[in-house]
Amino acid sequence: MRISYKWLKEYLDIDLSVEELKDKLTFSGIEVEAVHQSNELLDYIFIAEIKEKRNHPNSDHLSICQVFDGNETVQVVCGAPNCEQGQKIAFARVGTQIGDIVIKRTKLRGEESYGMICSERELGISENHEGILVLDNDAPIGKPLSRYLDIADTVFDVEITPNRADLLGMIGVARDLSAQLDLDMQYPLLKDYNRSDLGKYPVEIVEPELCTRYIANVIEGVTVTESPEWIKQCLIAGGIKPINNIVDITNYVTLEYGHPLHAFDKSFVEGGKIIIRKAHKGEKFPALDHNTYELNGNELVIADSVKPIALAGVIGGLNSHIQNSTVDIVLEAACFNPSQIRRTSSEKKIFTDSSYRFERGCSDKVAETVAQRAVDLILTICGGKLTQTNDIYPNPLDEIIVILRPSRVTKLLTLSLANSELISYLTGLGLELVKEDNDALSFKIPSWRKDLTREIDLIEEIIRLHGYNSIESKPEKHEITNKTSFYLRRKVQDFLVSQGFYEVLNLSFSDPAYFDLLSLQEDDYRRAAIEIMNPQGQASSIMRSTLLPGLLKNAVYNYNHGQENIKLFELNKVFFKSEKKLGTEKWVASAILSGNIGPIHWKNKTESVNFFYLKGIVESVLALFPLNKFQIEPCTEPFYQENLAAQIVVGKKVIGTFGKFDKKIADKFEFEKDIYGFEIDFTQCLEYQNKKGIIFTEIPKLQSVSRDISFIISKEHSVQKIVADIIQCNPKLIKEVIPFDEFTGKQIQSGFRSLSLNILIVPETKSLTDDYINGLINNIIDKLKSKYHIEMR
Amino acid sequence: METKLNQIVIAAETAIKGAQSIHELMNLKSEYIGKKSEVMNVMKTLGSLSPEERPAVGKIINIAKQKIEALIDEKENDLKEKEYLKTLQDSKLDMGMPGYAIQYGSLHPLTIVWREIEDIFISMGFDIAEGYDIEDEFHNFDALNTPEDHPSRNLADTFYIKDDVLLRTQTSTVQIRTMEKYQPPIKIISPGRCYRNDRPDASHSPAFHQVEALVVDENITFQDLRDTLNTFVKKMFGSHMKSRFRPHFFPFTEPSAEIDISCVNCGGKGCAICKNSGWLEMGGAGMVDPNVLNKLGIDAEKYSGFAFGLGIDRITILKYNIPGLRILYENDIRFLKQFTFNN
Ligand SMILES: [Zn+2]
Repeated sequence: MRISYKWLKEYLDIDLSVEELKDKLTFSGIEVEAVHQSNELLDYIFIAEIKEKRNHPNSDHLSICQVFDGNETVQVVCGAPNCEQGQKIAFARVGTQIGDIVIKRTKLRGEESYGMICSERELGISENHEGILVLDNDAPIGKPLSRYLDIADTVFDVEITPNRADLLGMIGVARDLSAQLDLDMQYPLLKDYNRSDLGKYPVEIVEPELCTRYIANVIEGVTVTESPEWIKQCLIAGGIKPINNIVDITNYVTLEYGHPLHAFDKSFVEGGKIIIRKAHKGEKFPALDHNTYELNGNELVIADSVKPIALAGVIGGLNSHIQNSTVDIVLEAACFNPSQIRRTSSEKKIFTDSSYRFERGCSDKVAETVAQRAVDLILTICGGKLTQTNDIYPNPLDEIIVILRPSRVTKLLTLSLANSELISYLTGLGLELVKEDNDALSFKIPSWRKDLTREIDLIEEIIRLHGYNSIESKPEKHEITNKTSFYLRRKVQDFLVSQGFYEVLNLSFSDPAYFDLLSLQEDDYRRAAIEIMNPQGQASSIMRSTLLPGLLKNAVYNYNHGQENIKLFELNKVFFKSEKKLGTEKWVASAILSGNIGPIHWKNKTESVNFFYLKGIVESVLALFPLNKFQIEPCTEPFYQENLAAQIVVGKKVIGTFGKFDKKIADKFEFEKDIYGFEIDFTQCLEYQNKKGIIFTEIPKLQSVSRDISFIISKEHSVQKIVADIIQCNPKLIKEVIPFDEFTGKQIQSGFRSLSLNILIVPETKSLTDDYINGLINNIIDKLKSKYHIEMR
Repeated sequence: METKLNQIVIAAETAIKGAQSIHELMNLKSEYIGKKSEVMNVMKTLGSLSPEERPAVGKIINIAKQKIEALIDEKENDLKEKEYLKTLQDSKLDMGMPGYAIQYGSLHPLTIVWREIEDIFISMGFDIAEGYDIEDEFHNFDALNTPEDHPSRNLADTFYIKDDVLLRTQTSTVQIRTMEKYQPPIKIISPGRCYRNDRPDASHSPAFHQVEALVVDENITFQDLRDTLNTFVKKMFGSHMKSRFRPHFFPFTEPSAEIDISCVNCGGKGCAICKNSGWLEMGGAGMVDPNVLNKLGIDAEKYSGFAFGLGIDRITILKYNIPGLRILYENDIRFLKQFTFNN
C-alpha cells in the first residue's frame, strides 16, 4: 500500500523527517519497502505568463505565444486548445528534461519555439492531457512550480501484514502512529443528517451470511465532472487513476478508511431495487474492466431486479457505472464475507483495490462511517440532494471486551508501565477503557480490530508501540571459557588419537633424578622445578617440568608388558619456579614413539617410526593452531641423538623440540629399542597462533603447470633454502615446490646427493606459453647452478 | 558379380564367427571391407559401368558391405561382453582379507568422561573456568570459610610448596577467583586436577580430578541446585537415574548436602557396589554461604548461588565398571585400547 506523507498530515500533526517516519513505521510493524519523493521535476518548471497569443499562420490548431518567465519573453508554439492570453502557466525552458525528452529550441511549421507550456500529464500531476495546466491568477511569475503547487510529497510503499486490515487506509495508519507517538488524531468531521424524513431505498439481502451489512444512499441531481485537484492528488499518491468526481470520491474514501465503496448510476438500476444474492448459473456480467464474465452461481452479486450490476466487493458493472451523463446515484457501503470475496477474486482473476481490502476483512461499523463520509463529500463537491437511504444490518455484532492485567505485561515483557501508559497506548488504537480495577483493565475492542481477542494480543500491541528494542538487556553472562585454548587442546588430542596415539595421564609429581638421567645441563630451564614441602617420597618430590620422563616410564612399562609398537602422548600441565608467588604453569603436548608407525598389513606394508614421520606429526600439530611462521632447525637437546634432534623456532623463541632419544639416555631409562619423542609448548604456541581465520580466495581459473627437476647437490645445502630460492625466482607464479625423491649411492660422489623437486606453477591472469615456462625453469636452474653448483641429472 | 559378392559374404561370415579376439576381428574387418578388400575392389569397377547400370550394381555392393559390417558389429559386442564377464571373473577376491588397518589410538578414559561432563554443562549454558593447580592458602581455604584450625589444612592432608602456597585440594579455588574477577551472573564449571596427601590405593590417589559448578545470579534457589544436578545425572548416566541430598557440613555452603545418585550398577535395586543401599555417594553441594559472597564483594542480598563438586575419577570408574583408581594411572596400552571408539 502507498502512504502519502502529505495526506497523513491531514489526520496527524506530525513533523518527522522522512527517515524518522520510516523508522517509526518499520519498528511498529509496518514494513517500508520503498520511499518515493514526488515530482522533483516541478523544481525545474517555472511559473510564466502568456503575454500575447496569436494564431499560427500555417496551422489551424497551433498558436504562437509570447511567454514571460520572469527573466525574458520568448516565443513558444503551443498546440493546446485552451491556451489564452493572460494565463499563468507552467513553463519548461529550453534544456529542461521531462521524462526522456529534453526541451530544445525548435521550429514548428516555420515558427521558432523556445520552450514548452506543460499539461498536467507532462508534469506527472494527473492523467489530464486535454490542455495545458492553467494556474490561478495569483501564481508568482518566475517561481518554480513546486513552490506554488503544494504537491511536494513523500510516498511510502508499505507492506501491511494480513492480520491488519485496519491499516489498509490512511486513517488506520495515522491512528497507529498517533498511539505510538502519543498524538491526537484528527478524524474527518462527519455531518449529521436528519434521515427520518428520507425515503427508504429498497434493499434486500438474500445472503445475510455473505453480506453482513448493506447501506444504500441515493443522491439525486449530481454533476459529474472532473474532481478538484486535492482529491486527484490524493488518488495519484495512493496509486489510483482519477476518473470523475463521484468515482474519485468513492476511491478517496476507500483509501482514507480502507473500506471500499461503490456508486451506481441509479437510472440503470432496473426495478429500483438492490438485491444482494448469489449469481444465477450462466448469468453474464459485463465488468468495468471491459470483460464479460459468465457467472457460475457461486459468486455473490449486487443485482437489480433484472441483472447483476456488481460482483460484490470485487468489481462494478459496465451496465451501471457512473458516467458524465449520470444525474442520480446509489451509493453503496457494505460488508462482505472475506472468504467469499477471496474465492470470487481468485476464480475470476480480478484483483482490485476493493477485493484486496474486503478479503482481509472489514468492519460493519466502519461501513456506516464511510457511507456518511462519502455522502458528505459528494454533496459538497458534486452537488445534489440526499433523497433516499437504507441500512440493512441483520445481525449486529456483539461487543468484545478483553481484560488486560498490567502485572502480566510486566511478567511477559520485563517492562513496567504505569496503567495510564498502557491505557494511552490502547485507547490510541481506538480501544475503549470500560472498567479499571487494580490489576485488570477492561477494554472494548473496536470493530476494525478483529485481530484483538485475547490479553496476549493487547500485550503485543503494547510492546509493538512501545518498541521491541526499548526493552533493556539483562546483564550479560561473562565469557569465561578460554575457548581457543579449550578447543585447541581437544583438537590436538583428537588429532594424535587419529594418528594412532594413546593418551596417557600421569600424576603431576616427578623425581628430580630424571634431570640427570636426561643429561640436562645445570642451567636447563627444566631443572627449575617446584619442590613439594611434604612429598610422599623422593620419586614424587617435585612438580614435573617436562612430561617426557613420565612418557618414557610408560613406554618401558608397556614394552615390558609385550607392546612392541608404542605411540603415547600426554597433553598436560608442567610447572616452573618463577618470580610469581604461585610459580608458572604451562600446557605442553608431548609424545613418545617406538616400533612401527602403523599395524602390520598384508598389502600395506608399515614402516618403523623414523625422523620424518615424527617431523610430519609435529608439523601437523603445529598446523592445528594454526602456526605457520615456524622454522625447524637442528638443535642440541641433550637427551636426543646428535644429528637427529630438531627444534621448532618462532622468531627467536624455541617452542618445542623433537628427535630420536640418544641410545645411552634410553638405556638409562631401561628402554632398549629406538625411541623418538617430542615436546611442544602448547601455551607458547597459542601466543603465536595465526588468528586471521579463513578467507576464501578465488579458485585459479587457469590450468596449473607442474615441472620436475633433478640434480646432484652437496649434502651441505638444506632443501628448505633451495625451495625458498626457487620460489624467490617468481613468487607470483611458483606456488609450491615439493621434494619428491632423494638418494645417495654408488653413482653419486660421497658428500653429495641427488634431489628431485616438483615445481607447481599457477598462472594468475593469462595462460603461460611453453617457452615462457621453459625460460622460468631455466632461470631456476641457472640460479641453483651459480649458488649451489648443482649438476643437472 | 552378385555371386562373387555372395561368396565373399559367406566366407566373411564364417571367418567373423570364428574370431576369438577383438584384434582378430579388426583384422578381418580390413580384410573384407577395408581399403584393399575384395569388396572395395569391386566398388572401384563401378566407374567402368554405364550410368544406367551403376545404381543397381552400387546397391548390391552396398548391401554386401552392410551385411559384413553388421556381422562385425554383432561379433564385436559379443567379444566385449565376453571380455567384461572375464574381468568380473578375474576380479574375484577373498573379501575376508583384512582391510587397510587405520590404527586409531584413544583418549584416556578420564579425558573421555571429563569431556562428556564439560559438554553436558556447556549444553546447559555453563562456561568452563580454569585455574592454577598451585594455589595460595587464601583461595584454597580462607575464602572458602575454612576455619584456621580445620584438619584439612594439615600437612598430613595437603601438599605444601611454601607456608601459604599449596597444591589445591579442590577446584573451588577457581570459583573464588572467578567471583573475584566477575560480578554475577556467573555460571561456570571448573574441572581440574586436585591433590591430597593420600597414599595411592584402590580408592585414593594423591592427584585426582574434580569438577565443581558455581551459579550466582538473582533468584537462584535450592530448587535450581537440585534441578541442575538431576539434569546432569540423567544426561550423564541415563534418564532413569535419580539423585538425592543428605544434609552435611561444608564451610563454603549453607545449607550443605552430600549428593547420592542411583547405583549405576544395579539401578537402585541394591548390589555389592552400593553395599545394597541402591545409592552411591557422588559429591557435595549446597547454597553458597552469604559470607563467601559478601567477602568477594558480591551483594548477598541481591544475589544467591549454588555450588557442587563431583569426582571425575569416581564417575569414570563407575561408568566403565573399572575396579579401582590404580589402573587409571598405569597407562597400560591394553587398558587404553578398550576406549578406542568411545570418544
Ligand atoms: Zn547397586
